[in-house]
Amino acid sequence: MNDAPPIAIRTVGLTKRYANGRQEKIALRDVTLSVPTAGFWVVSGPSGSGKTTLLGLLAGMIAPTAGEVHLNGRLITHLRDHHRALVRRNEVGMVFQEFALVTGLTVAENLFLPLVPTGGPPAATRAKAAALLERFGVTALAQTRVERLSAGERQRVGIIRALLGEPPILLLDEPTASLDSTNVERLVDLLASLRAEGRTLLATTHDQRLVNDPRVDGRLRLVDGALAG
Amino acid sequence: MKRHLALIRFALGSSRRRAGRTVSLGVALALVTFGFAAVLFLTEALRREFHLGAQGLPDLTVQRLVAGRPALIGEDWTQAIAGIAGVTRVEPRVWGYYFVPALAGNFTVVGVEADSLPDAAERELVVGEGRFFAADAPDEVVMGEALADYLGLSVGDAIELPVGRGRKRLEIVGLFRASVALWTADVLLMSTAGARAFLQVPTGSATDVAVRLSTPDEATVAARKIADLLPDARILDRQLMNRGYDLTFDTRGGILGAMLLPALVAFLVLAWDRLTGVGPGERREIGALKAMGWQTSDVLLARLWENLVLSFQGALVGLIAAYLYVFHAHAPGLADVLLGWSSLYPALQLAPAVTGGQLLALTCLVVLPFVALSLVPAWRAATLDPLGLLRGAT
Repeated sequence: MNDAPPIAIRTVGLTKRYANGRQEKIALRDVTLSVPTAGFWVVSGPSGSGKTTLLGLLAGMIAPTAGEVHLNGRLITHLRDHHRALVRRNEVGMVFQEFALVTGLTVAENLFLPLVPTGGPPAATRAKAAALLERFGVTALAQTRVERLSAGERQRVGIIRALLGEPPILLLDEPTASLDSTNVERLVDLLASLRAEGRTLLATTHDQRLVNDPRVDGRLRLVDGALAG
Repeated sequence: MKRHLALIRFALGSSRRRAGRTVSLGVALALVTFGFAAVLFLTEALRREFHLGAQGLPDLTVQRLVAGRPALIGEDWTQAIAGIAGVTRVEPRVWGYYFVPALAGNFTVVGVEADSLPDAAERELVVGEGRFFAADAPDEVVMGEALADYLGLSVGDAIELPVGRGRKRLEIVGLFRASVALWTADVLLMSTAGARAFLQVPTGSATDVAVRLSTPDEATVAARKIADLLPDARILDRQLMNRGYDLTFDTRGGILGAMLLPALVAFLVLAWDRLTGVGPGERREIGALKAMGWQTSDVLLARLWENLVLSFQGALVGLIAAYLYVFHAHAPGLADVLLGWSSLYPALQLAPAVTGGQLLALTCLVVLPFVALSLVPAWRAATLDPLGLLRGAT
């Protein structure tokens, strides 16, 4: 009998090269990794080591030059563009370092943006959004335009938006970059609680506070696009 | 349907967020639509007026030319035309031009037999103020409104005009309705006897002959018979006149339309310039939308709705402005070009005569190129990978 937990994220020989004129830059080379379901893993590494590229490949935002990405056992690498968009909408929640919020819109409008192509949020999703806003302490900001929020508030809005579709996998790009120590502690508490709910989390960071947090289940290190150690 | 409504709501929000671009494109679109629509509205309304007016004309009008100049027609011509097969009525008419030095132009004196006209109720259709002249009063006249305004006259006034060696006194008893101004602006309508005296046309002679036919479609055949019988005759065919009006307005409207084409091209160049300048903020927005699960088709559809709404709003404003300009402000400037030169311009009271198909074609002429142009830059951005758009790398 095999007691090992199922694998939520698996890559095999993942490689990404960018052409820059005649020159070619290898952003990621031959990365093979597995993150178990309901695991909380971090990928650390210096700037330019390929962390964001890795997340982009896992979320199906870019296509690899070589290798495979499997999410919950499903190969997504060879999916067509519109099917990868559906993966991003339904299976992966992504929190961006720069938050990727649309300025000029309110917090509530930003939260429901992923649902616009489906006809807008149903009542149940609105109720869920209200509950998440409450949980993250930003209920009062629901009708505030996002450009008026602090960096920490924007990040919380980004996390709420990623969670609203109840994706089984949450990818976070430098989630502690704009937070002080107190808020880092709160964020890690929150991520641990999401992991406890059964979600799989993979965060990229070069913040040692997050890397060394005891609640993190697994640690990977990228150097020059390759896994180290 | 819900999807489209949600995308339209998002698109309207995007228009508001990019207000500067939206307003400049909307104004340019409205101006171009206004130009084309004003020409179309005015041309079609004038064409309709002339066709309506031509309905009252005789099937054939026969004039006599001597040495290439119009000459008076005797009773022998009337009798000869009446004897041609298919001719049901022949009516000698007395009319002519009267030069007024103060006007530096002519006005048209028309004589009619008051008792041969339609009933009183129908007469009132053409008289806006005052009354029709009495059958036994050769000094009473009905005057065109533009002519009366120009001379500073109103109903009840009298004028004395030099005729031959003497002077003739005319009493203005009525003014034509503004709705027939296109036909009556410079007209002085009086009894046939009055017109004969005023224009010095002898009894038994006429300026021309109005001919009615049993089969108007055979006007060409009847015209040929008249020409064979009366070699000096110049024959005007109502159907040919209608075709002449069409050609005149098609040509004038076409020339004005062609003159507006550079404006359309300039607008499209402006639109291209504005729309291809997809700034970094907009590219990041497209990247964010795609990153959160929007498909390329969703982004394009949102952009399509945004530009469709913008272009239809602009076109609607242009159409409404053109309607007000032509039918309420009487198309100052443009009407002079389409109507041609005159000392007395009629006060235009035109009725709209544009079909839905023409409006649709006009709207498409402006809207479709704009919408097609707008999709190209959006498509170029939307097909890039979202990570690159978010990082500003593409």
